[in-house]
Amino acid sequence: MEEKPFTTSSYREFLESGKIMANRCRSCGNVHLPPRPICPRCGGRSLEWMEIRGRGTLQAFTVIHVPPTRLKGRQPYATGIVKLEEGPSISGLILDVKRGEDIDIGVEAEAIIVREGDGLKLCFRLV
Amino acid sequence: MGLFRNVAVVGAGMTRFHNRIHAGKTGRDLFVEAVLEAVDSVDKGFELREAEAIFIGNYSSDCFEGQGHTAAMMADWLGLTPRASTRVEDACASSGVAINMATLAIASGAYDLVIVGGFEKMTEKGTEEATEILAMASDALYEVPVGFTFPGLYAAIATAHFKRYGSSWEELAAISIKNHRNGALNEKAHFQSDIMETARRLGERHNMTFKDELEFLRSPLNPFVAYPLRLFDCCPISDGASALVIASSDIAKKYTDTPIYIKGFGQASDTFSLHNREELTELRATRIAASQAYKMAGVSPEDIDLADVHDCFTIAEVLAVEDLGFFPKGQGGKAALEGRTSLDGEMPINPDGGLKAKGHPVGATGAAMAYEMFKQLRGEAGRRQVDDAEIGLTQNVGASGATVVVQVYGR
Ligand SMILES: [Zn+2]
Repeated sequence: MEEKPFTTSSYREFLESGKIMANRCRSCGNVHLPPRPICPRCGGRSLEWMEIRGRGTLQAFTVIHVPPTRLKGRQPYATGIVKLEEGPSISGLILDVKRGEDIDIGVEAEAIIVREGDGLKLCFRLV
Repeated sequence: MGLFRNVAVVGAGMTRFHNRIHAGKTGRDLFVEAVLEAVDSVDKGFELREAEAIFIGNYSSDCFEGQGHTAAMMADWLGLTPRASTRVEDACASSGVAINMATLAIASGAYDLVIVGGFEKMTEKGTEEATEILAMASDALYEVPVGFTFPGLYAAIATAHFKRYGSSWEELAAISIKNHRNGALNEKAHFQSDIMETARRLGERHNMTFKDELEFLRSPLNPFVAYPLRLFDCCPISDGASALVIASSDIAKKYTDTPIYIKGFGQASDTFSLHNREELTELRATRIAASQAYKMAGVSPEDIDLADVHDCFTIAEVLAVEDLGFFPKGQGGKAALEGRTSLDGEMPINPDGGLKAKGHPVGATGAAMAYEMFKQLRGEAGRRQVDDAEIGLTQNVGASGATVVVQVYGR
């Protein structure tokens, strides 16, 4: 499908064009997000690009009250891990949530790519 | 897996861990202080110059102090050049891993006597900057930019553990209460007051009174750091250093009648990002490192009399006591709530106060756990002495579990 190498910069270039791209191991079928050059399950190096729709369920979360310097002023903000329909899980900011009591594991989430000062961020909106 | 020859700890020292009393000191000042205490602790006498090599755990003196290449610097400051000096960086597991490396170096026959330890001088930076530096130990591409901090990763693990096992924040609070109670008995600990005493002191300042620890821990005086973890679920940022003198078992008795043997050790890695783990409610690397250490030592979890585990956050102690096989999955927090992991319980955990109360100068933590086992197994732990302590275990974790190192110690 695509000839790009399975690198961080390829992943970023796809994000720039609005696509979340994983890769899949042709030997064992394992799906990797972010994409990687070697399959951690079987060691396979024959891989192919695969587009992720961005829908999944919340697997774990937190609401950060003491932020690192670069996110100072944004707290409290939520961030979490979403298990995507295609199999892999990924971390992302959870938008519009300020209290841990307001969310729960298992709720559905949808990915959006947001441009912020220091680059593109993978975010999720709860649906 | 067996060793070519056995290795023993013959001396141990550490600075007090603290955020203020070391103001003005540097990492090298702290490490030299710990090494000299370790040297002076050797029963039958030991000259520092007898050491043939140095292994030092340090996470980031580069970022914290603007000082790199610390292994050579320490060799020089200890007056030990031209001996080989090696720095090990595995985040918060740095000196735990350094102990394994030093043990291998002796077991191989390359050396007979080695200094191993660790240090971190963290408080030159403010909390936010220190939080940022610590977060570099997690995935700088895929975790940090989307807002995860170190406490945040463990907080996410806590939500998953609560959901899967029905465990609760009250169980985490019990761990904090226990570890502060133990820390109050440890003259090297960062915090040396139990939570009720802290509640009284802080309450006076804010015109509040608390009937028990839980009421205080639920109050605004214990704010959220990363939901569901509050301030008293998190270890402090501390300065400190720790050091051991280790020797081949052939010569250990020349230095002391009661060497403490490194009976077994293990080390494992896991996915760097938390989101790539198949299971969020355990640290797989703990299970694997522990099974290696148990096998080498020829023991099982039931044989362990006490353990120092990596409670950088209270939930981490829950994971540790479960993944090390001391309690079934989901029961780790309840064990603390029921007093089973207290000093007088069936399985004392973190008798020194743990990272929570003793403090966590990250590079010093693994060797400070070994210091505690050296004291406990020799019956020299004073007011926090565990009765009949014969076999002890340490578990030291890097970041959110991408590195775990385990050691089993015995008399
Ligand atoms: Zn594969």
